Amino acid sequence: MLSLSSLMGTAALMAESDDAQAAIEWAEHFQKNYRLMTDEEKAEARARLEKRYSEEYGKQVTVDTTPAQPGVLMGYALNIRKCIGCRRCVHACVAENNQSRGKNRPGEKIEWIQVLRMERGKFDAEKMNHGYPEGLGIQVGGNAYTPVGQVLEGQYHYTPDLVPEKDATYMPIACMQCEKPPCVKVCPVRTTYREPDGVVVIDYNWCIGCRMCMGACPYWARRLNVTNPVLPKEEMNPVTHYLGNRPRMRGVVEKCHWCLQRTRHGRYPACVEVCPVGARKFGNLLDPNSEVSLILARKNVFRLKADLNTFPKFFYFYD
Amino acid sequence: MLTSFITDYVRYVLKGGAKFYTWMGVLGVLILGMLYVFYLQNTDGLIVTGMTSQIHEGLYFANLVFLVGVAAGAVTIVFPAYGYHHEGMHKVAVLGEMLAITAVIMVMMFVFAHMGRPDRLWHMIPPWGIYSFSSMLGWDVMVLTGYLILNFVCGFYYLWCKYTGRPINYKWFLPVVWIAIVWALSIHTVTAFLISTMPSRPMWHHSMMPIRFITTAFAAGPALIILAFLIIRNNTKFWIEDSVIKLLTTIVIWCLGIAIFLTMSEVVVELYARTEHANGLYYLMFGLHGLTRLVPWFWTSVVLMVGAFILFLIPRFRNDFKLLVIPCVMAFAGIWIEKGMGLIVPGFIPTPIGEVTEYYPSFVEWLMTLGIWAFGFFILTILLKGAIGILLGEVKFGARPAAGSLGAQAAAAK
Amino acid sequence: MKKIALYTTIFALFGGALYVAVAAGKTGAATQPAEAQAATTEAAPAQPAAAAETAAAPADAAKEPVVCFESRKGASEVTQREIRPGWPNVKCSPTTGAALWYGDPFDGTVPMGKMPGLENIPEGHALVKPRSEKLAILPMCATACHNGVGPKFTPPTLPKDKKPTPIPTMEGLLPELKEFQHGRGRLWCLDCHHTTQRNKLVDNFGDPIDFDQSQLLCGKCHGDKLRDWRDGIHGKRIGEWASDGKKRWFLCTECHNPHNVQQGERNRGFAQLQPEPPPPLPKGMPDMKHELVHPVAH
Repeated sequence: MLSLSSLMGTAALMAESDDAQAAIEWAEHFQKNYRLMTDEEKAEARARLEKRYSEEYGKQVTVDTTPAQPGVLMGYALNIRKCIGCRRCVHACVAENNQSRGKNRPGEKIEWIQVLRMERGKFDAEKMNHGYPEGLGIQVGGNAYTPVGQVLEGQYHYTPDLVPEKDATYMPIACMQCEKPPCVKVCPVRTTYREPDGVVVIDYNWCIGCRMCMGACPYWARRLNVTNPVLPKEEMNPVTHYLGNRPRMRGVVEKCHWCLQRTRHGRYPACVEVCPVGARKFGNLLDPNSEVSLILARKNVFRLKADLNTFPKFFYFYD
Repeated sequence: MLTSFITDYVRYVLKGGAKFYTWMGVLGVLILGMLYVFYLQNTDGLIVTGMTSQIHEGLYFANLVFLVGVAAGAVTIVFPAYGYHHEGMHKVAVLGEMLAITAVIMVMMFVFAHMGRPDRLWHMIPPWGIYSFSSMLGWDVMVLTGYLILNFVCGFYYLWCKYTGRPINYKWFLPVVWIAIVWALSIHTVTAFLISTMPSRPMWHHSMMPIRFITTAFAAGPALIILAFLIIRNNTKFWIEDSVIKLLTTIVIWCLGIAIFLTMSEVVVELYARTEHANGLYYLMFGLHGLTRLVPWFWTSVVLMVGAFILFLIPRFRNDFKLLVIPCVMAFAGIWIEKGMGLIVPGFIPTPIGEVTEYYPSFVEWLMTLGIWAFGFFILTILLKGAIGILLGEVKFGARPAAGSLGAQAAAAK
Repeated sequence: MKKIALYTTIFALFGGALYVAVAAGKTGAATQPAEAQAATTEAAPAQPAAAAETAAAPADAAKEPVVCFESRKGASEVTQREIRPGWPNVKCSPTTGAALWYGDPFDGTVPMGKMPGLENIPEGHALVKPRSEKLAILPMCATACHNGVGPKFTPPTLPKDKKPTPIPTMEGLLPELKEFQHGRGRLWCLDCHHTTQRNKLVDNFGDPIDFDQSQLLCGKCHGDKLRDWRDGIHGKRIGEWASDGKKRWFLCTECHNPHNVQQGERNRGFAQLQPEPPPPLPKGMPDMKHELVHPVAH
């Protein structure tokens, strides 16, 4: 099986690239899991990737390997009352994180954030007697409603002229960076793991594309690169992190990583910066003065699907 | 001696009539097709399949789950043979092992087809890779590989002894057989855990999954074996006793009955309360948000399984081996749907955050599936033909293999 | 057998075509991916137009700078330019014209000035984008009319009472004043604007507040919001996430229209705007209209 898989790797590599490129990819093919690399190996892997990306995208691409900073546990809070459902975060994320953005075939376009539209719904006097009459004519239930505050009933493709709509509320969903991430537990090769600053990351070069993590994620945060990512040169963000937004390859899983390439250097994630209503908050959970700590101390907070004991570090709150 | 075993075996297997070569040729064409789509999947990516980020497990995973069951089902021969010393079963136990080997190989091929990066499979094999003990998939790969090895050892040691005429060394053979029997349960249990340990997919998240898996496996597996045995009986000199087929029929009936019962229990439990967690099942049975693509699959499966069960209960269908084929095919097909499209796909509909999409398997997926099944039958034909040759004594150490008039049996191995 | 042969041939042709398509897409990717792949798909008619658009975009950019709005449409804009090769200060949405990505969060900012409660933030770490620049008529206010000279204003004559009197000149300059909403009739101009220094706002003691520090004015009434804003809970900041990090603080009026706070149908303090496009349709789905149909049938 081992030889078979290696053979196929070779075949696939031979089929797609010229010599220099192939040599780099060949070396990449045999590199170790990122967490087990020595510093020298990391530097090598980094140099290799920077060379390949720079050639491929025609600009100086950097691949950062900054580790987690001590004393930092990243946290995120989202004011669900403020969100207007404009999806700017979704597109900022794509601009920042080098997702595939092809337009020709379904599956070539990947977005990490989903914005859920929830209906405010209403109760209807006319339907007061539309129940489930039993044989005796006694109502055992009723239908005098349309879904009110129905979470996870899935309206993601809304296209009104203007948002926020009067009859809807919105709830963006992306990776929750769980403290007990089910995706990490099911990964057979430990390619996805929790970094010491709390972010769950993926070593794209080690992922085998088995998609167990996608099945295990209760928040549908993970996406599969079903084909070779379509990333136009001019749109490519050259500032990347090894565990973050560096360009991915076909057949691997990716997800939100709280913009490691930014946050490890102190900068807000891209989605936080573009939210027009300031609903998105990010900071250090260990710092009592950080935005998120103050929100946890002062506001009403909930975690999505808290019943699953995943302990997300992504909190929803409202004023 | 080993070389002569291999050469005799190969020589015997390769000989056959026009029917045999036609059969193998057709399979070969399908296998070539499979290789081509495999190439497509590994250059263009899984975009050529109908799988998406929403529904990321489809036909491949469905077949994988089903075939693990078939592999485990082989134990329905081995266990009566060694546990109850059933004479007829004992004679054909090795054929069950050959079926198990085939099924596990097919499972592995479906794993390859399913993976986004099969070229990186070595990442999960130590010392080059990392083995993760917390991952059910890791465990599944381990038990499947183990089961393959166990069956290979048991089956071929038995054949080897028959071939050389040596007595079987029961001192180590029996323990290995017993390990294999327990192991057969483990492969399907772990495969059930693979999907039932995910609270994110409420449709799968119940502890009934392993027993449902095993009952369906012990219905579909023996149903396939009955079909194979009937074909072997009718097309080769190798006689399989009536008692074997009758016992297997009994096993199929019991397991099918329990499987139907468990399915019904699940329907009652889920639909009585009809929580959001029942959305997957509801989608499967009646459709969700007006999307109903899987509904015909489900009801076909129900009709096939219940119909097969009723037919099985009619003595005429049990005793007339010509009629027996009908409920066996029905049960096999019904369970293939129930465990495949009927269990795996609706687990993804809706997604954990409520997005409802549908699954449209692509031509590539169908061809790949067909190709892997063809490959399975290809291997099964070779394994069964060789095994039967040895059991019949036509392949024997020191004797030239008899020029096989056995072409026909292979053709029938479908 | 014939049938199988036929299927195999069809399949081989189909597969071959697919492969060629893929290969073409790959080589094309180096130059113009959209175009190259469009040529191989049936959706070709739609694609050249798109390609033409992208081709036209840079040409336009050369002539006319791309300007995108930041938080609220009409409140603050930023003009796209390259800070360093291949690195713009901002990326704008082609659909809505909203700012989608900041290459430099501190572009065009100045220090916030004194703000009670933010003393712990190091010097120069609290930045704002000057509002005065955006308010085009602001410099004129204190020179053209409210300049302290002129027949009516020497010596300065102040309104006798707080009854709002419509001033046609003002309404001409700022039509939204006709539908002045803030306070629902309980506020008037000079509750916020300084009596004599019209290019300033006013605090509770009658002292002027700079337009770039509108939070000091708004906090007069909305104290809870001011506190949340100061702590980073309400409102928007970009830049560094550390609690004492260097941030650009968005000012109240960058999101809220002070003359008409409850804009739009939803009455929630933030004007409605056009949303960005929805996610791509999953493979095989012709549309996603079924989302609007409610699943639990009764």
